[in-house]
Amino acid sequence: MQEVTAPSSAAPKFRPKRGKKTGDLKKRLWRNKWIYVMLLPGVLYFLIFKYAPMYGLIISFQDYKPYQGITGSEWVGLEHFKRLFTEPEFFTILKNTLILFALNLFIYFPVPIILALMLNELRGNFFKRIFQTMVYLPHFMSWVIIVSISFVMVTMDGGIINELLVYFGFNKINFLLSPGWFRPMYIFQVIWREAGWGTIIYLASIAAIDPGLYEAARMDGAGRLRQVWHITLPAIRGVIVTLFILKIGHVLDLGFEHVYLLLNSMNREVAEIIDTYVFTAGLRQGQFSYSTAIGFFKSIIGLIMVMLVNRISKKMGEEGVY
Amino acid sequence: MVEDRSISGKIYAAINFTLLAIIALITVLPFVHVVAGSFTTSAELAANKFVLIPKVWSLDAYKFIFSTNTIFKAMGVSIGVTVIGTLFSMFITALMAYGLSRKDLDGRNIFNFLVVFTMLFNGGMIPTFLIVKELGLIDSYAALILPSAISAFNMIILKNFFQNIPEGLEESAKIDGCSDFGILFKIVLPLSMPAIATISLFYAVTYWNTYMSAILYLDDSAKWPIQVLLRQIVVLASGMDHSSTLDGTVPPPDQTIKMAVIVVATLPILMVYPYLQKHFAKGAMLGSMKG
Amino acid sequence: MKKSFTMLLTALLTLSFMLSACSGSNNSKTSSTDPAPAPSANANAEKNAETKEAPTEITIMLPLNTTEAPPDTIKNEVEKLTNTKLKYQFFPADSYEEKLNTSFATGSLPQVTYLKNQSTFVQMKEAIKDGQFWEVGPLLNEFPNLSKMKPEILDNTKVDGKLYTLYIGRPLARQGIIYRKDWADKLGLGAPANVDELFAMAKAFTEKDPDGNGIKDTTGIADRNELVYGAFKTVSSWFGTPNTWGTKDGQLQPEFTFQQYYDTMDFFKKLRDGGYMNQDFAATSKTDAVNMFTSGKAGLYIGGSMQDIDNLNKDLIKNVPDAVLDTHSMVAGPDGKFAQWMIPGYNNVVLFPKSAVKDEAELKKILAFFDKMMTPEVANLMYWGIEGTHYTVVEGKAKAGDDKELNEREVKGYKDSVIGESETNGMYEPYNTLPGRIHAEELILENVKVGVADPTAALDSATYTEKGVELQQIITDATYKYIYGQIDKAGFDKAVEDWKSRGGSKIIEEYNAAAK
Repeated sequence: MQEVTAPSSAAPKFRPKRGKKTGDLKKRLWRNKWIYVMLLPGVLYFLIFKYAPMYGLIISFQDYKPYQGITGSEWVGLEHFKRLFTEPEFFTILKNTLILFALNLFIYFPVPIILALMLNELRGNFFKRIFQTMVYLPHFMSWVIIVSISFVMVTMDGGIINELLVYFGFNKINFLLSPGWFRPMYIFQVIWREAGWGTIIYLASIAAIDPGLYEAARMDGAGRLRQVWHITLPAIRGVIVTLFILKIGHVLDLGFEHVYLLLNSMNREVAEIIDTYVFTAGLRQGQFSYSTAIGFFKSIIGLIMVMLVNRISKKMGEEGVY
Repeated sequence: MVEDRSISGKIYAAINFTLLAIIALITVLPFVHVVAGSFTTSAELAANKFVLIPKVWSLDAYKFIFSTNTIFKAMGVSIGVTVIGTLFSMFITALMAYGLSRKDLDGRNIFNFLVVFTMLFNGGMIPTFLIVKELGLIDSYAALILPSAISAFNMIILKNFFQNIPEGLEESAKIDGCSDFGILFKIVLPLSMPAIATISLFYAVTYWNTYMSAILYLDDSAKWPIQVLLRQIVVLASGMDHSSTLDGTVPPPDQTIKMAVIVVATLPILMVYPYLQKHFAKGAMLGSMKG
Repeated sequence: MKKSFTMLLTALLTLSFMLSACSGSNNSKTSSTDPAPAPSANANAEKNAETKEAPTEITIMLPLNTTEAPPDTIKNEVEKLTNTKLKYQFFPADSYEEKLNTSFATGSLPQVTYLKNQSTFVQMKEAIKDGQFWEVGPLLNEFPNLSKMKPEILDNTKVDGKLYTLYIGRPLARQGIIYRKDWADKLGLGAPANVDELFAMAKAFTEKDPDGNGIKDTTGIADRNELVYGAFKTVSSWFGTPNTWGTKDGQLQPEFTFQQYYDTMDFFKKLRDGGYMNQDFAATSKTDAVNMFTSGKAGLYIGGSMQDIDNLNKDLIKNVPDAVLDTHSMVAGPDGKFAQWMIPGYNNVVLFPKSAVKDEAELKKILAFFDKMMTPEVANLMYWGIEGTHYTVVEGKAKAGDDKELNEREVKGYKDSVIGESETNGMYEPYNTLPGRIHAEELILENVKVGVADPTAALDSATYTEKGVELQQIITDATYKYIYGQIDKAGFDKAVEDWKSRGGSKIIEEYNAAAK
């Protein structure tokens, strides 16, 4: 089985390559006028609801008081960024955030892909649909519910898991209050809640694969695993790369609510991340400027990461996100 | 589909099936617990904690939440916002995604970058609120839709799917005299049903989960969507709010009520998926191509 | 070509229709539902000149602590009694701060703005000082009922010596122990007279199989992840720890620099090490702690309001029909003295934003509404509901009706908005039947006699406003770590030093300066 060409590579015959001749620009613009019309509602949306409010970022450089407004508040330059970087715990918090992100990227991220491939390998639509529906259910329960159900299961005060451990002659494990168990619990819950939901996008792109390709592969005597490896995976590579890049952009942005619910005094050394720190140090104390400055810092790191990964993926012959 | 009848094929299928069955069971347990919890008494929940099959059955929780029409009203709002919002969002997202999927478009990369940029940077709650206020949207359902009409993530994914459609098809349509709009609605969209189904589902779930916009933009509690009710009950019943006080005057709602509300608020959106699943069947794209 | 044109037209039409439909319908809505305080107030002023009867229109924003916003049943009655047209805007308590901040920053607060609790009040102080809200202090004596509000609590809510708020009163010290009297009787134990007896009780409840099922499956204390509203602070005050701040060598110092605070930590450390309280209490939510208690697995619930006994009892007897609960709060410290920490007497306040209340005349009209709220008639209506429907009067006290759901739906939403307390607004005291609850009400009065106030309640510290919450985290973490045995006394001292160096010293300075 050789490299299977993705369905998209049928060569354009009549469309001139973009940017070929500058003299053509006016002509091209005119020919694509309806395309620009199509973009119009979307562009308007992004301008009005996304770009227009961005002036709000200015308060990162101010000592913003709600009653003075942006025009009346005092300018403090990079004061808030200095405060963040000189915070004694800053590097611990940054490290914790990056470790959780790494767990997300290397442990969680592949799970939906594998799960989608497994679901796709199921023969018979009945079980396929049933399993699919079952694994995507937890997504609809909020973190509050997931965390409180987990608490009931793992608590040392009568939780079923610890009861079982004792029953089989082991010692109780302090899941909730030990720094060592925070990360495994976190990533397990993320997988539990999100993996099934994450498969949907991959299943959709698998559905778009031309069945003829599998037919041909079977003729060549390729087994199931080889078909997965040589047809399915290459065909969804584009989606995987896109999702990967978009995920990278949220490197410092890990879902506040989940971590906050798991956080306690005993695991803070590993569980305090930037988002929970912003909540305590910024929002709960009404420190709008400080919170915004930290958000700004996160965005810049995200932007750098996206640009970096996007460039790499383009070098590797992928489309990238822009 | 030709069945793989070899021994190794059967073992492969059996292992795959067993693994999936185990995974599905583990993931579905919390939901079973919630459903079971909604059909029992708070006493049993307190005593047995992780109830999977109630020993004592009770419909009290459902009686309580259905004893007024608040939940129906909220459900109506959510369904309305979800249906209209999803249609509206799909429409403008598809237009934009198709436009940006055209590789011959000048400025395409700039547009794409500007969209990605909004995923990373945002001006915050207050400036957005001011815009919504300036547009006169406060206290209108449109405030739940317009400010989140396009998800950059969904747009990029949809664009990605559109790019995978063989360009030859579009070209031949163009030669046949189809306009750009014609190509989008007659060729591209029908060929992208799995993607359309997926992104519609994403939008529908986002609209169904609308919470913060409702709090910020709706002053009239009669207009609240279901999530506001749901979250209010869940937070009160879980004792997880950040402002614990000594207040004993207002006891939290029963745990069973919390579970019943979760069930009621989740069922409608859950039902969307099986309906969309048919578009994920293999060859769905091929079928529409012929049709 | 023609085809594509029609298609485009349809598309644009649909789009513009959608857009216009949205903005159109909602313009009309905005005009009808917008608080629009200024015009309506002016209109009222004019109308009032002609006919006295025109009701005052008031828009009120407040946090919602019940499952859903109440219907208009109570509101309509209040409007009749007070000659007002009220518009209540409820927002979930959980997201109330976001709503409050956004509304404030965009100038959209309504005429009457309830805050959420004391910490939102602390956050608002800077804006209050800046003159964003009306001062009400000088106007109070014009209103016969408002002037009855307790001066010592009003003092606690003053900002720079001026009064801007009306307070929602709460008993000063409702905290204590709710415990299994049947277990205590069975084991021959009386209510704990001092902290040693309390320890002995927790131990006995754990080890002596009080539920008599032959299995060692019970725990002494069910506590939760809260140092203040859980067991810790209440026990610490029994040990003689000052309430948040205390005076040492003539200077205000934070509670955790006092020896008694360390003694309390040692007490909890011993309790947890011995297994006499739930091992995971630092991660246990209120609901889970309450569940332990109401499922009959724990015998002591400390630190919450003793009035909670009704709710605990209700759920407990479903699981353990013959359980008996009682309340207790007079636990002596090692030196034999009694002490109870006190809250500043309020749990929330009301503010009147200048952005919505245009002039003093309008303010007075709004205050007139609150003045009427402090009459027994209105206060009872808002706190207890409609007599005969939601409650009945027994022995001069209010007995909540049997239809709990009706009460929960129609009345509870307004309960937390009644200003003052029953001594000042004349509303009924609750009629209790449960012996433990009757006992609790007596104890609440007893508590105040040995009450310890927070000396910084009415003081200001800029550093505390900016970083107080963040700094307190250091101490909270260290306290738990000490109890769990992860740090020793030296480790805790280090945390206190950390607290001081990161801003705590400044807070000490500022409070001491403010106290002079």
